[in-house]
Amino acid sequence: MTTVVEVEREAPDAQPPQAPARRRRFFNGVVRYRWLFFLMLPGLLYFALFRFWPMYGAQIAFKNYIPFLGIEDSEWVGLAHFQEFFTNPDFPRLLTNTLIVAALSLFIAFPLTIVLAVLLNELRLNILKRTVQTLVYIPHFLSWTVVVSLTALLFAIGDGPIWTLFNGLLGTDSNMMADPDWFRPLILMQMVWKDTGWGTIIFLAALAGVDQEQYQAAIIDGAGRWQRVWHITLPSIRPTIVVMLILQTGQILNTGFEQIYLMSNSLNRHVADVFDTYVYFTGIEQGAYSYSTTVGLFKALVGLVLIFGTNWLAKRFNQQGIF
Amino acid sequence: MKPKTAIPTAVLAVGSLALTGCSGGDSGSDEPLESLDIMAPYFSEVPPEEDDPIDKALSEVAGLDLSVQWVPNSDYAAKTNTVLAGDDIPDVMVIGGKDQSFVQTAEAGGFWDLTEHLASGDYPNLVTENPEVQEASSVNGKVYGVYRARDVIRHSVIIRADWLENLGMDLPETTDDLYELARAFTEDDPDGNGENDTYGMINVEWPAAIGTNSPYDAIEVWHGAGNVWQEEGGELTPSFESDEWRQAVEYERDLVENGYLNPDYATMAPETWNEPFLNGEGGIIIDVQSRASELVKLFNEQDPENYDQYVALAGQLEGPNGTYAMPTAGYAGFLAIPRSGVQTEEQLDQVLTALDKLNSTEAQILLNNGIEGDNFTVEGEFAVNDPEKQDFTDQVTGAWAQLGTAVAGYNAYTIKPASEYDEELLQLRLDLQAEDLGNAVFNPAAALVSPTYTTSGSQLDTIIADARIQYIDGQIDDAGLQSAIDQWRSSGGGDVETEINDLYAELQ
Repeated sequence: MTTVVEVEREAPDAQPPQAPARRRRFFNGVVRYRWLFFLMLPGLLYFALFRFWPMYGAQIAFKNYIPFLGIEDSEWVGLAHFQEFFTNPDFPRLLTNTLIVAALSLFIAFPLTIVLAVLLNELRLNILKRTVQTLVYIPHFLSWTVVVSLTALLFAIGDGPIWTLFNGLLGTDSNMMADPDWFRPLILMQMVWKDTGWGTIIFLAALAGVDQEQYQAAIIDGAGRWQRVWHITLPSIRPTIVVMLILQTGQILNTGFEQIYLMSNSLNRHVADVFDTYVYFTGIEQGAYSYSTTVGLFKALVGLVLIFGTNWLAKRFNQQGIF
Repeated sequence: MKPKTAIPTAVLAVGSLALTGCSGGDSGSDEPLESLDIMAPYFSEVPPEEDDPIDKALSEVAGLDLSVQWVPNSDYAAKTNTVLAGDDIPDVMVIGGKDQSFVQTAEAGGFWDLTEHLASGDYPNLVTENPEVQEASSVNGKVYGVYRARDVIRHSVIIRADWLENLGMDLPETTDDLYELARAFTEDDPDGNGENDTYGMINVEWPAAIGTNSPYDAIEVWHGAGNVWQEEGGELTPSFESDEWRQAVEYERDLVENGYLNPDYATMAPETWNEPFLNGEGGIIIDVQSRASELVKLFNEQDPENYDQYVALAGQLEGPNGTYAMPTAGYAGFLAIPRSGVQTEEQLDQVLTALDKLNSTEAQILLNNGIEGDNFTVEGEFAVNDPEKQDFTDQVTGAWAQLGTAVAGYNAYTIKPASEYDEELLQLRLDLQAEDLGNAVFNPAAALVSPTYTTSGSQLDTIIADARIQYIDGQIDDAGLQSAIDQWRSSGGGDVETEINDLYAELQ
């Protein structure tokens, strides 16, 4: 801990740069803070090995990769796999499904996280707040397999408790686990149930930093609870919301693979298939390595464009971006 | 330990991990093999250990030290693909089917072409007794592996015998009989409890593929739709384009529409297939005959007095257009030999000699029964398992049996039936097999591997399989089904048909 403080103290002293001096200073810095660099090393190695090195393999999207021949010796085919992918009837379907699931998570699940965080923040009894917080974190630690099994039990046609409830209230008599119309509501319910609580952590941290004096001033001015939430709480955490939103947009196409894979079946597959399940299906199960790499690469590209786009938009609206 | 040294060690550990990950694959050399590395799936709860007695005994028989990499069957296809893409490739691999990664690797020369080696007769136990099955396991006539032989007829109709008795009905002989039976089991209170709490047929979720021996496939074959492909005047067409196929899916849809199937027929987990039958919720299962024996065993646990009153077995049914029976592929994958590990003809000879010995009667008994005098004893022509060593026996049948090929005939012992009734059931199964074999409709394109099918076959199959189940479920109508078939055609199905016909003409 002490070394970290030292770094912060040193930094403002930095002299205007002169080439040789700067280099010397750099090496002095490296020697001086060698242990900090050592601490950084595993992190750097992680990125080099597991993030940058695999990019070498991304070239198979432009090759006709046959494992026996290896990456080097497989034949180049240019953009053939991309052409195949974009002209494939699966493409519009996958794109639609992926975007819908992404939109559900962005426009419904994400705002719910903020709502829950604000609600928790408004609780006065600390013990109650802590207890509820802990309880809503729990589902995050269950694996998707467990969540999907629970869903299958609860929604089982004929005797599942929730199926019975819906049957009584709405008169639904279809097999909800297989009904394509129910696929997205179920996915959304699972997402909200599992991760809303967990998502509040960052917002609660931001809420803890809100200047309490503003609330007191507002109370003196006669502001009610709603007005305080609307005019103080939300504006105070706006930067956090924007940063989270940008990060979320970057993840937009990473629709939970496990969840969707486990929830899909022959009857709902046409609304369930997303890029991630498709990559698994064609690449790992079927061994179409090059083609599935193409799909994965395309997905990454869209994610990159989105993250830059949102960041740019955020800056246009005078918000702090993430870079 | 001081942190000074701790960090670099950790870094080194990570670094060397990465290095082994990237290099490796230098297992191949010209030296004679010292051990035989095999990759195989297992179904048992736990795979055998390296010091397993069967491993030792088999190593002695084979003349090479066996080292088996066991992979859970549910992950096997995915694992095969990752192993093929990796560097550490075993000497012998059980290949589950002719999917893209296998075919491309084989055609690029990644697996030994065994056609001539097997035909040479140098390895007598590897000479097939069913050349058609070996042909079907080939890639356009090239045999890349020793197939794992299976019974050709396995399917039958399994029925609640007590329900038949209660309603005074006979075993079904035609698909119409089956329909009537499903109706009666649903509507006529077959269990006599006065409540409307039963349905006719039990179906489970099936992988989205066609021609995978599902109950739907069986009903389609019975209707005369052919088996995946249909031959007419030297031309092959996909069976789902035939009128008989339409007739069959309509039949299936009617069953669902009238509630003669379990309501969760499309999503029920396959491992729970027996439960509704045991609990008296449903009364008909179209599946392999061995399920009947399994059910008898389960009823025996439930009701040892009358356990022989519950299960009836009917052979495959006559359809409206004639009598046809659905066969299996006759094989379940094959043992292929990658060239990465086995590089010279001498090494190949070593491997084939070992596989030949692994198919001797002595080895077959080890693979399928276990160790005589330890977990089983021989009584006449039958094996009797020691109930105390049941765990070991289960491991033998669930894991080691996966290495068995039995291409030249199955010579291991059959398990002695527990009672007279079980013996009768076994005999009935054999009789039904013999009867249905004469009507078996084989897939004329089984050996043919078309390039387009190799790259996009499972997407194409999924289009049809999903449309079929949506049609059966009433989600889409005839026009929807037709548009799925059109989509199949435009997404590459048309190319598959042309290529298959070209290959078919070449091989004739």
